[in-house]
Amino acid sequence: MELSSLLTRRRVGMAAAASTAGRLLRLGAVRAEGHCRRLRRAGLERGFLQPTSAGKDAAQKRHVAHFTFQPDRESQEHGQTQKMNLFQAVTSALDNSLAKDPTAVIFGEDVAFGGVFRCTVGLRDKYGKDRVFNTPLCEQGIVGFGIGIAVTGATAIAEIQFADYIFPAFDQIVNEAAKYRYRSGDLFNCGSLTIRSPWGCVGHGGLYHSQCPEAFFAHCPGIKVVIPRSPFQAKGLLLSCIEDKNPCIFFEPKILYRAAVEQVPVEPYTIPLSQAEVIQEGSDITLVAWGTQVHVIREVALMAREKLGVSCEIIDLRTIIPWDVDTVCKSVIKTGRLLISHEAPLTGGFASEISSTVQLHDELPSFFLETF
Amino acid sequence: MDRQGQIINPSEDPHLPQEKVLKFYRSMTLLNTMDRILYESQRQGRISFYMTNYGEEGTHVGSAAALDSTDLVFGQYREAGVLMYRDYPLELFMAQCYGNMSDPGKGRQMPVHYGCKERHFVTISSPLATQIPQAVGAAYAAKRANANRIVICYFGEGAASEGDAHAGFNFAATLECPIIFFCRNNGYAISTPTYEQYRGDGIAARGPGYGIMSIRVDGNDVFAVYNATKEARRRAVAENQPFLIEAMTYRIGHHSTSDDSSAYRSVDEVNYWDKQDHPISRLRHYLVSHGWWDEDQEKTWRKQSRKMVMEAFAQAERKLKPNPNLLFSDVYQEMPAQLRKQQESLAQHLQTYGEHYPLDHFDK
Repeated sequence: MELSSLLTRRRVGMAAAASTAGRLLRLGAVRAEGHCRRLRRAGLERGFLQPTSAGKDAAQKRHVAHFTFQPDRESQEHGQTQKMNLFQAVTSALDNSLAKDPTAVIFGEDVAFGGVFRCTVGLRDKYGKDRVFNTPLCEQGIVGFGIGIAVTGATAIAEIQFADYIFPAFDQIVNEAAKYRYRSGDLFNCGSLTIRSPWGCVGHGGLYHSQCPEAFFAHCPGIKVVIPRSPFQAKGLLLSCIEDKNPCIFFEPKILYRAAVEQVPVEPYTIPLSQAEVIQEGSDITLVAWGTQVHVIREVALMAREKLGVSCEIIDLRTIIPWDVDTVCKSVIKTGRLLISHEAPLTGGFASEISSTVQLHDELPSFFLETF
Repeated sequence: MDRQGQIINPSEDPHLPQEKVLKFYRSMTLLNTMDRILYESQRQGRISFYMTNYGEEGTHVGSAAALDSTDLVFGQYREAGVLMYRDYPLELFMAQCYGNMSDPGKGRQMPVHYGCKERHFVTISSPLATQIPQAVGAAYAAKRANANRIVICYFGEGAASEGDAHAGFNFAATLECPIIFFCRNNGYAISTPTYEQYRGDGIAARGPGYGIMSIRVDGNDVFAVYNATKEARRRAVAENQPFLIEAMTYRIGHHSTSDDSSAYRSVDEVNYWDKQDHPISRLRHYLVSHGWWDEDQEKTWRKQSRKMVMEAFAQAERKLKPNPNLLFSDVYQEMPAQLRKQQESLAQHLQTYGEHYPLDHFDK
């Protein structure tokens, strides 16, 4: 139907290889039907490209994909803030961690000179070469080594240069890190391990500098997977991951490293894991996304309001596993509709986990379900 | 030591005191006795699976004796003698093999996947060679902590083919970690002989390629293993660098209870090693020639060790299995909502359909 096709046609900002996946669920039909009939009658046109508020000709053609980073309102609760982009927010979090925890070390390929995305600039000079150091070019070694450090109780912060290259370490992550505590009966654990990795499309990345592998890890109990949408979120979530007593993977949307700029507190602060955030309230439909796609979805919500009169509730999932089922379900109970959008491929993507869990939820009516 | 237990080069004799050497012998033979009984118990359907250590007892005990008790051990799965030497109680070996409620591992893994925090023996995992880069990381942390501690990492010549082994060696050398890599080259990786595992000069020859000082030792000579490990430990601490020891030995038993090695090697070959070059026999010859052991003591000890093992075994068999709730804990440090839901769902299921499950065997 029209509503869904319009929303899925909004493939803003994504390279062809990493197209948007949208799933529209319509639950509890009656109220929705009337609304949708109204929209169909509105006779919507093609070439419907931008929010009216952008103030341009509605029929213009696009030449490049884009998205616009939308900063949140500045937080007042964590003391003095400083303008930071996302990689600087990461540096700040790492700086705070190494200052506070004398056992903490950072390692990976090229982290010593500052990192290929400048996330570790200045840290080696400040904390010493035994704490910020390069490893040989070997992801399975990086993660295995990190697990070993964590087993002794020290804090290990490993960097995998691109999420596309995390796969050699998959065995160490899934078979070892995730299972360390369980299989040893809690005699041993590697909870003080955090793996950070640049993630997601950047425009020119192609197959091997653009991947979003969160769905592979979502299937693995024992680890946490976290993805921030902004510099402020990145620092707080990364600090939570580092402090968390379970091995965590922190994916950093690389397209946001420079493009996302916000006021970020200088002092350490944490944002809770496994808590999704309702970043915009609405009544007609729940939109769920994470990382870069949150900003695309925000734009979509704006357009939906202006062109279709649809009120969208937007949720940033933030933690992929363990994910915040209650917040998402509570929202869908209210709105009656759910759309999940992610960069990663559709089949087996994390949207399928969310959509099936929501559909199984006992407080949601199952008498009318449709999936697009 | 030669095969008759005579010291070949007196300058290399570690001159260990009688008590210590007797402890070597008792550890090796107690392990052997436990292996026989637990292997049998699998054949009888009492435990699900077992792996023996026949022929490799010298590599375990010789190396374990050369370490400090706080040195961290990362093993593969055929190093039970290290735990035995560190006085891990028979009751707990059995508890893990039976997966009963006394198992510190909470019954979650297959038999022989031992772990002990107090004895600094990291819990065994099934995937091969994964422990190698982990051991290196642990050694790096030990170096930073200035703890006068090293890490020893055991693996077989088969596991040394894994990428993780290459990763571990390279990291240990470049990051200057105080670690001993101890390779048990026992001739087979299940059915794969060394000729099909590598074509170079074993594992010791790989060390220098990474910048790691390496040595090959007679793994069935418990004193040679002791000497090599002792010296490696001393230098690892002093110089913060890795050492590689390749201990040549022979896997006298099958790979595991799921294997019948007569399918790929001759009984003659196995008998040769069992009769002509066994670490326990060689040490016994040494003890006897020093007047530290004799036939009577051997008879008495055999009876006594067998009795100890049988008692622990009977006890382990009688115990209940762990509470089914332990299926869900320790996945994370805290139990997330979804797992709690699954736990409740199982509880409800058991309420209705409990009769179809052997709940009487499990702790309530």
